[in-house]
Amino acid sequence: MKKLVLLAVVGAFIAMQAGLAMAATTGTPDTGPGCGLGKIAFANYPHAKTKGAQVLMATLNATGYNTFAISSGTSGCTDDGKWWAAEEKTTMFAELNSDALAQEMAQGRGEHLASLATLLGLPQDQHSAFFAMAQERYTALTNAGELSSVAMVKALNDAISANPVLAKVSLNK
Amino acid sequence: MQVLGAPVARREPFFFPMGVIHILILLLIALLAAPICGWADQGSTNYRDELIEQATIARLADAREWHLLLHYQGNLFGGVTSEQDDDGFFLSTQGKHDPQAELEATIESFFSPTLVGRSKQPAQCAFIARYHWLKERLGFDDSRLAPVACKRFEGWRAELNPQGVSLIFPAAFMNNPASMFGHTFLRIDQKGQTEQTRILAYTIDYAAELPPDVGLEYAYKGIFGGYKGFFSTPPYYLKVQAYRDIENRDMWEYQLNLTPVQIDRLIMHAWEMGSAYFDYFFFKENCSYHILSLLEYANPDLHLREQFHLWTIPADTVRIIVAQPGMVGATTYRPSRSTLIRRKRTFLTPEEQIFSKQIVRSPEAIGEATFNALPVLRRALVLDIASDYLRYKAESDDPEVKVYKERNRQVLTARSRLLVPSEEVAIVPYTEQPDKGHQTSRATIGAGWRNRDTFEEVSLRAAYHDLLDPEAGYTPNAQIEMVGVAFRRYNRAEQTRLERATLLNILSLSPIDNLFRAPSWKVNVGMQTIRHNDCQLCSNGVFNGGIGAAVETQLFKREVYFAFADAEANYSRAYEERHRIGGGGTVGMLADVTDHWKLMLSGSYLRYALGDKSDDIRWYAGSRYTLLQNWALRMEYNHRDRDNDVVFSVQAFF
Repeated sequence: MKKLVLLAVVGAFIAMQAGLAMAATTGTPDTGPGCGLGKIAFANYPHAKTKGAQVLMATLNATGYNTFAISSGTSGCTDDGKWWAAEEKTTMFAELNSDALAQEMAQGRGEHLASLATLLGLPQDQHSAFFAMAQERYTALTNAGELSSVAMVKALNDAISANPVLAKVSLNK
Repeated sequence: MQVLGAPVARREPFFFPMGVIHILILLLIALLAAPICGWADQGSTNYRDELIEQATIARLADAREWHLLLHYQGNLFGGVTSEQDDDGFFLSTQGKHDPQAELEATIESFFSPTLVGRSKQPAQCAFIARYHWLKERLGFDDSRLAPVACKRFEGWRAELNPQGVSLIFPAAFMNNPASMFGHTFLRIDQKGQTEQTRILAYTIDYAAELPPDVGLEYAYKGIFGGYKGFFSTPPYYLKVQAYRDIENRDMWEYQLNLTPVQIDRLIMHAWEMGSAYFDYFFFKENCSYHILSLLEYANPDLHLREQFHLWTIPADTVRIIVAQPGMVGATTYRPSRSTLIRRKRTFLTPEEQIFSKQIVRSPEAIGEATFNALPVLRRALVLDIASDYLRYKAESDDPEVKVYKERNRQVLTARSRLLVPSEEVAIVPYTEQPDKGHQTSRATIGAGWRNRDTFEEVSLRAAYHDLLDPEAGYTPNAQIEMVGVAFRRYNRAEQTRLERATLLNILSLSPIDNLFRAPSWKVNVGMQTIRHNDCQLCSNGVFNGGIGAAVETQLFKREVYFAFADAEANYSRAYEERHRIGGGGTVGMLADVTDHWKLMLSGSYLRYALGDKSDDIRWYAGSRYTLLQNWALRMEYNHRDRDNDVVFSVQAFF
């Protein structure tokens, strides 16, 4: 009985603040595209609400890719269990982490920037050269990023090809 | 090929004498005949029955692994019921309650290419952990039960690229009732991952899926299983964003020592669970509970969930996992953005602090000659802190978000022109890691004086932490107490009574400084024993709420001062009209004297305008000394209106 009383009171208290998320995966309001990625995947993740992410999600869903639902069926979508191709993964990462990336490019280091370098195929010993390049080209890269993350990834790839140190080792163009 | 046994035996008499050539001819005939004659079914039926018999003899339906795979738990009728609530998870219609029926149906379905479960895959793939466990236990003959290629699963596992598993604990977040106790999930660490790239790893997270626009039913449904809980695998960078950046929660990462075989079992079972759901129960069958169940299947020697009966508090599950010998390797701390800003700020000189404040308000200050006179690395540090703070503000619900974003852009542009990488700074957490914390249930024995009487007291509290409890491992300045009772024996009055009861007592202090401003708040629902009018010992129901502010100083060690505006309603037969409603204020302070010794002082004045028109002056002084992680001593003094109460007690956490 005590447990029930407790539950009722806690319930009343939570109800006072209803509308807040229960845990990480809260159903996202039906403003985004489709299902799969759009639903369980991005749920309440804050940056999923940017326009770029919405467009990407729509694209990815259309091609049947499913990311975060484990073996499908969670979202009512059909999917073939495929993951993003490397390029899409990079674009998505750049889109969803745009603020952190802008900050770390300006600061010339950081885990988001290192992760982006890895996604772009740069080995670890080239990361500091990549960081320095991104810092130097900060304005151009973030301007491209404001257009779209696709443009920013392209600008980065172009900058890598133009860079005498990085061009040799870049594996993923 | 798997069908040769039976036909060969049957035809043997027609070919005599036997020789190598004959056998070869036989094989050839059997091979050609097999597709037309349907012996395949005959043969696999036999093998299926053989396997079921073997499984029955080995009593596999009673094996711990089978119960873990199907999430069976003992029920009230002496049988078992699976916690899984999705019909698609069972291959037998009796599967939810009958382990043997489910075992037989599972073995049978392995012979069939039919797509099963919500995820529409062949049974060997949809229930890949069951398949591999049974294959190992029964020694499946691949030639008689052909393995199916599970491309989807293989693709998924390849993308996870598992090398290890970490348990992640985002600390309690007071401003969301669902996050007050913290959260746990697993990160699948990737091969070749470094400290810098671990945000790319995927996680396995269990959470309730809420419909859009939840209203008041949220509380009721969340507690009583009205929502479905699913597993999902978002990349870690999204979790870091949600917890560390947006909700400003410190995160702790515990690297788990699992063998490659155990990791594979965990991954396979997660795959099975991915397309099914459990009803989500906020208190017990919650995120942490199901994370424990995954770990138990990974290593069936672990008995983790058995230690939780009515509720599963995430921090308790962390302590249980850490307590398993050899289970946890390295522990990593990931500071929240607000911790980062507070800590980094202490590296600035007073002059630099002024620059950072000016730049936050107006980035034009970056151009000032005095600022540019600073060494380049100092300028970088000042700009980095300003940018951290502007990002923090830009993520808030402040109406000026756009303004902060624009300022941050200006700061970062200036920062990039310095062309030096930021120096690495070590951020020390404000509290010790969660596994160093006391357990969440508490038992107290005490004795003391009240007015002219003496008493002995025992009390129990279900959960979780109050402001005076040992602070190691807990979010500082936050109190959540749920369900507590205290009984007293008054020696002169010769009375044993329920002295106090707490249903819910939450208090959150958010120290304000020149960068962070958030209100402090409190809610208390319970009863206590009062002396009022002619009644010496009267039960008094209390509903109290308050909003206020707090500030922190470090004059000695750490002191927090607070002030609240209170609203309170009381119900007791001691009052005229049996109730009183009023308001007032509370001021107080908390002080860490040493690592083990903490003091708290508070005073309130409340005036009741409705019901029993009266007023109340209260004083409280409390002192706690921590003996061990789970043991503490207390001395407390309570004064209210002609009523003085002193109690000494020993507290044990369990």
